[in-house]
Amino acid sequence: MRAPGGLGAMVLRWLGGGGRRPLAITAVVMGVVVVVKTVLCVRRRQRRARWGEAGKGVVVLHIFPRGTSCPSLSPFVVKLETYLRLACIPYLVDFEKPLGPKGKCPWVSLDGEEIGDSHLIIQHLSERFNRHLSSHLSGEQRATAHAMRVMMEEHFFWCNVVWRWVEDRKCTVSSLTHWGTLLPFHHVYRPLVSLLLRHQASMQGVGRHSWPQVYSMAWEDLHALSVYLGGKKYLTGDELTEDDCGVFGMLSQVVWCSPGSPLLSAVQDNFPNLIVYCQRVRERLWPDWNRCLNPPLPDNSLLDASV
Amino acid sequence: MPRDAISKVIMQLMAQLQWPAAVGARGLSWLWKRSRRVAVAAVVVVAVVKVRAYVQKQQRRKRWEAAGQDVVVLHMFVRGKNLPNLSPFVLKLETYLRMADIKYEVDYEEPMGSKGKSPWITLNGQDLADSQFVMEHLASKFNKDFSSHLSREEKATAHALRIMLENNTLWGLAYWRYVQDGGRAILTGMYVPFFVRLSLTAFVRHFKKLIWMQGMGRHSPHDIEYLCKQDLAALATHLGDKDFLMGDKPTEVDCAVFGFLCQLMYASAGSPYARMLETDFPNLRSYCLRVKDKFWPDWNACLDPPQPVS
Repeated sequence: MRAPGGLGAMVLRWLGGGGRRPLAITAVVMGVVVVVKTVLCVRRRQRRARWGEAGKGVVVLHIFPRGTSCPSLSPFVVKLETYLRLACIPYLVDFEKPLGPKGKCPWVSLDGEEIGDSHLIIQHLSERFNRHLSSHLSGEQRATAHAMRVMMEEHFFWCNVVWRWVEDRKCTVSSLTHWGTLLPFHHVYRPLVSLLLRHQASMQGVGRHSWPQVYSMAWEDLHALSVYLGGKKYLTGDELTEDDCGVFGMLSQVVWCSPGSPLLSAVQDNFPNLIVYCQRVRERLWPDWNRCLNPPLPDNSLLDASV
Repeated sequence: MPRDAISKVIMQLMAQLQWPAAVGARGLSWLWKRSRRVAVAAVVVVAVVKVRAYVQKQQRRKRWEAAGQDVVVLHMFVRGKNLPNLSPFVLKLETYLRMADIKYEVDYEEPMGSKGKSPWITLNGQDLADSQFVMEHLASKFNKDFSSHLSREEKATAHALRIMLENNTLWGLAYWRYVQDGGRAILTGMYVPFFVRLSLTAFVRHFKKLIWMQGMGRHSPHDIEYLCKQDLAALATHLGDKDFLMGDKPTEVDCAVFGFLCQLMYASAGSPYARMLETDFPNLRSYCLRVKDKFWPDWNACLDPPQPVS
């Protein structure tokens, strides 16, 4: 039996066993469990019905709640939503169930099908809607852009995780989100998420190094990306591609979601072309950036004059 | 002295010590209450084991120091049957030492270093872990730079390709090795002690959890194969028909790529990645053989058991 079912069975045996424990308590507990399960099941069906009403060919994008300075604190949410805008694919946003079939965010529902992982979603949507944004590139250009995107998403991502959830003593992440309505984010969710991500970063490998070593690895990644971008408008030239979405998603976390961090200082002092690149992509694909924050800001106000 | 008083002293010690020693102290206190002789025997056995381990470690340290000034002592897992090592990072570092012509000796007794990773080195009494940090340190110390002729853009591309292989494709290989293959390729590819063979299931379960935590383990095997094929395709496209990854001369990134590709060619028989090297990316296969011929003329002698050198 699976762990929760096994635990529940043990609790029921303890409650029902022996004449001293009243059967009334057992009945009440079982009744509460049945009611809660039924309510959850009904709500799940109602949500699915709502998603189904979105329309054929409309993507329902399931994500975490909006951030205060960036549409999301997850680089993969920003990546996928940027891609949907770039590829002009109609989509609706759902905040009720952010974790999908692989226990990851973001995920999408499309015509009753559920797909997880931002990269696999982009591959699926590009086939479904016939949007091949890298078809004009040479094989060599595509190979290098792919390597740059994977470097940022699978290595730099963990360096940023170590900063945000382990090294940042001021816990600035708490000021960047309004997550947690029942329980406070800073005192409950943040420590739990920090513990989980610290463990994951250690399992991945990056988390086993000291912070100066992690910082130097992150610096090398940013340096390689900055040199590769050079003076180009976008990653591979004058046109945006899928890999730009991934890189923009990751950089957005540094530029707009890491106030006071050494990574932001490194970008501002040494790699200004990355900041210009981020601003360019934001102007092109996120004209309503301020309205996608929580709380929304007036369109003409800038959070930080320097970025 | 009454038994209760001794156990109280032990419990007070427990409050001061860290938790493993605290657990040991609690166990000792429990044992002391039941049988003083057994408790004393347990303390003597543990003390003998600890002293022996300490003495052996000191002897190892003396042997490593006797290697000589500026001689690297490379700590790693034992040799493999079909390739010098089943760890891509060990093969990467050892290939670099050969490329840079740095004298080194091999030690198999302590393969895991301070970060719980392998390989690691001892050089002039100083320990260093992580293959990339070690390479950068040795490059600086011995003044070796094989990438000085590259442009900034080429160096950036080499960096991204290495990071892609070591932080994405490697996890796909790890998934095949430990989850799909159940560690069989490891068991048949190198000498594994008997007690590790017995605990193979726990070992595989640990790696399955590790890969799930990293993220790759949450995909289906088909999706993992697809993602890794994209990485290998990027690598093959960049290599093209060049002799080495960045041109006519080998550079540091070739050590990393070679270390990884050898795992696919020699230690992953039956895997989709070994098939990809033969059918989809033959240039990667011939590149791997080229690097092997250049830096590993004694390849056969570095196997376990050693094979005749042709």
